[in-house]
Amino acid sequence: MLTDLLERLSSIDGPSGYERDVIECMRKEAGMIPGVFTEVDILGNFIVRKEGKGKKIALFAHADEIGFVLTRREEGNYWRFSTIGGIDPKAIISQRLKIYTRDGDIAWGIVGMIEPHLQTDEGREKVPSLDDLFLDVVEGGERVNTGDIGVFSSKPFSLSEKYFTGKALDNRASCATLLYTLELLNNFTSKSDLFFVFNIREEDGSPGAKTSAYRLKPDLSIVLDVTHGDISIPSMPKIETGKGPALGVGPVIDYGYLEKLKNLADKISVSYQLEPINGRSGTDTDLIQITRGGIPTLLLSLPLRYMHTPYEVVNIRDIEETARLLSYFLARGGE
Amino acid sequence: MKELIKKLTETNSPSGRESNIREVILKELDGYIDGYEVDRLGNLVVWKRGKTDKKILLDAHMDEIGVVASYIDDKGFIRIEPVGGVSPYNLMGGRILFLDVGIKGVIGVEGETNSDLQKNLKELNFDKVFVDIGARTKEEAERLVPVGTFGVYSAEFVDLGKRLVSKAMDDRIGCAVLIEAIKRSDPYHTLYGTFSVQEEMGLVGASVVAFNINPEMAIALDVTAWSDTPKGYKRMSIELGKGPCIKIKDSASISDRRVVDKLRNIAEANNIPYQIEILIFGGTNAAALQRTSAGIVSGTLSIPCRYVHSPCEMIDIDDAENAVKLLNALVEDSSI
Amino acid sequence: MYLKELTELSGVSGYEKRVREFIKDKIKDRVSHIEEDVLGNLIARKEGKTDKRIMLCAHMDEVGFIVSNIEDDGKLCIMPLGGIDPKVVVGKRVTVGEKEIPGVIGYKAIHLQRGDVYTPPKMEEIRVDIGVTKKSDAEGKVRIGDFVAFSVESMVHGDWFSGKALDNRGGCSVLIDIINDDIELYYDTYFVFSVQEELGLRGAGISAEKINPDFSIVIDTTTSGDNPEFPSSRRSTELGKGPAITFAHSGYVIDERLFKWIINTAKGHNIPYQIKRRTAGGTDARRIATTLAGIPSAVISIPARYIHSPMSVLNLEDYNNTLRLISILLTKEVQL
Repeated sequence: MLTDLLERLSSIDGPSGYERDVIECMRKEAGMIPGVFTEVDILGNFIVRKEGKGKKIALFAHADEIGFVLTRREEGNYWRFSTIGGIDPKAIISQRLKIYTRDGDIAWGIVGMIEPHLQTDEGREKVPSLDDLFLDVVEGGERVNTGDIGVFSSKPFSLSEKYFTGKALDNRASCATLLYTLELLNNFTSKSDLFFVFNIREEDGSPGAKTSAYRLKPDLSIVLDVTHGDISIPSMPKIETGKGPALGVGPVIDYGYLEKLKNLADKISVSYQLEPINGRSGTDTDLIQITRGGIPTLLLSLPLRYMHTPYEVVNIRDIEETARLLSYFLARGGE
Repeated sequence: MKELIKKLTETNSPSGRESNIREVILKELDGYIDGYEVDRLGNLVVWKRGKTDKKILLDAHMDEIGVVASYIDDKGFIRIEPVGGVSPYNLMGGRILFLDVGIKGVIGVEGETNSDLQKNLKELNFDKVFVDIGARTKEEAERLVPVGTFGVYSAEFVDLGKRLVSKAMDDRIGCAVLIEAIKRSDPYHTLYGTFSVQEEMGLVGASVVAFNINPEMAIALDVTAWSDTPKGYKRMSIELGKGPCIKIKDSASISDRRVVDKLRNIAEANNIPYQIEILIFGGTNAAALQRTSAGIVSGTLSIPCRYVHSPCEMIDIDDAENAVKLLNALVEDSSI
Repeated sequence: MYLKELTELSGVSGYEKRVREFIKDKIKDRVSHIEEDVLGNLIARKEGKTDKRIMLCAHMDEVGFIVSNIEDDGKLCIMPLGGIDPKVVVGKRVTVGEKEIPGVIGYKAIHLQRGDVYTPPKMEEIRVDIGVTKKSDAEGKVRIGDFVAFSVESMVHGDWFSGKALDNRGGCSVLIDIINDDIELYYDTYFVFSVQEELGLRGAGISAEKINPDFSIVIDTTTSGDNPEFPSSRRSTELGKGPAITFAHSGYVIDERLFKWIINTAKGHNIPYQIKRRTAGGTDARRIATTLAGIPSAVISIPARYIHSPMSVLNLEDYNNTLRLISILLTKEVQL
């Protein structure tokens, strides 16, 4: 069940640089798929290989999420903290964070906001920055240290029949898409040699994607990430949830392969949207395309609401359709 | 080690002009290494063999920030551009030493009216400052400091006891620590020391230095900031004298957890004081090393340093000594 | 202590039904009389030794929102019920209406915010997302006028408690405990669980008018300010220092005789207590005091951090000491 998978993936905690538990989870999930080999490379990327004759195609979905790190102890059990990845302070206020101590215990901290009537006039007019925020470690204050890592503690759930919400759907929803694609591929004999890379540290500038692409040297690489859904951005078409994957188009995308993908989508009735990218996409695609002698790249993005907040929202159907499109595409060897 | 630090910081080598410092470092290491090479970009790579062919790479950047003479006006005043992260505020009241020619100059600020001058001082940038080498004519200036001449802060090394002050502690202190670690270690695995170029220009040397080496692990040695002065950074906890810093992350990279755990375990097993560091800005060569080819497991060991990128950077000698001890223990350890 | 259950219920101002039903269920067999009035206040009575009357009051309602409109894309517009800082609403889970439809309050991703990351959102831009794409789908599940309550799991952390609506489920829980503890009450005691306090002290006054007590004590949960961003000189209370006794707040100075009586009792029985230092904010005490011919009133509060946000914190020692203090007061006579 896709929602069960999403719930499992969203519930695992793995901010950039600390993906051990996520990789373990991926390993377990992949373990249930027959006919594949798995490995973890030097930096910690998890790779599932489905052997086949034909083009070498590598798919990437980053497995890390945004997070927090404790930077300085204040009086009592208060701590200063920094973020891993870009997080809006508004999304951090009044949240309960789950902290992993050095010994692997859990501690709990509240990012508190004082009441309006205690705030000064100028305080009211301004959202506090990370320098003004503090973490009230209500449990485990004696056990935490500088450098301990934290995550949002929001629990994932089905928002409605079609929508799912929780933390880290950027990019666990794409990881789910890849796992689901692997499942669908069982019904096909693949015309390509496939590598599914669940890479680490995208939020930290993609060292995971670049180095694994370097090692694998694929003929084609397909990146799965998320994009802003259901919001109007000036000069951009509105990418909507429920309308299928957003296919990137622009200098960072290989036009030839994009045409093939679009034709296939039309043929098997998968709806898709086009997302123009003027320059770099801000995803693993950018570094992969210029690795080695250059690698043709495609970017498929899941429309997602409220990116980098504790309750991101995706449409389940978008995941299903993306997986369906990918499984056909890969089975046909990228044609 | 103080003498070594003095020698290194008093050598003048801004980014792109590292030959001076490279020579000094090579001389220091003479007799302690099994071989060296200078790669295409000028990185100095030295090695000391251990019992196995596995490699550990320790990196320190040889370059310092500086300026370059870009234009000489009709009256002999020299305009400059920064080389690396020099802030014009750090030049005020100080002196610049132009290389090769050995000419010193002082800084002046434009201001045709009092309010202009005040405004310029508030929003200082390189367009508003100039260097005065005391030349009386344009020709004299051009002869002494032709366009394209590099310069560095002119600021002597000061020994304050436990604390040492100089320009270029970033990253000559890293170089000193690396040199001492190489000298004192009997490495288990093969030890590679890389003294890389142009870090201050964007991790240039480090982007290529490890390409042909393929180490199991790479650790960058650099300075980090500080938070222990009056109303210092409220969100960081880095103090001089409390030990070398094992970096968790900075703006450019996250240290591989395995490197963090390894350094911490070695430090604790050998009773070496250390701090855990999160730098909320900045970056080190580790960011470039980790992205080399198929990836290298990387991290950073930092020396706390006050007033970074000013002519008066300050470190604590105990932090440097403890960093050497830590690296020694790391390099002589049989596990990787 | 029913903190966990009470704080997890939805009971926004004007929509206190679920809280009222829970409380009624817990106390109905322990009181001699119980009734609800027109607005929804729950009034319970236990006899004492004399027939003079004391009214204890704790408000049941929490701050929340009301669905004000349903947009074409199925998202809900909301307006606050009570004082909510728009800075605390982003990224939160909520429950909507009688059918308890789950929703989330999302916000434009940080990547899309230009200069306005630090501008507080306006309530008019906030939307509740219940996972539908058009108005007609939403209309099947929710209606204009439905309540919207924060949905937060409470947690006990040793001596600490975190969750939403500590203001004032803390006070409600204390009253339930007093009722169930079967104390030897001196006065004829009326326990009022009031409504709509957050909307301007609307509920308590009508109960006071009906009961016409000789005096009243309001049991509330109050603000602290004990955090690193708030200077000690401006804090109101501190967690861990015991129940906070108010000497004055917005619109009322606490009756001096009651104030002294409370302090002396605390001292005499070695119960830790603190004096609430700031006078900002108000309670039902004002409304009660200005009813009929005047009803002298006092306020005893459990200190809590971050009230009026979906994530507050209190110290269970403070809760227990508050309960102890009030329990002892209720056995004593006061000279008025």
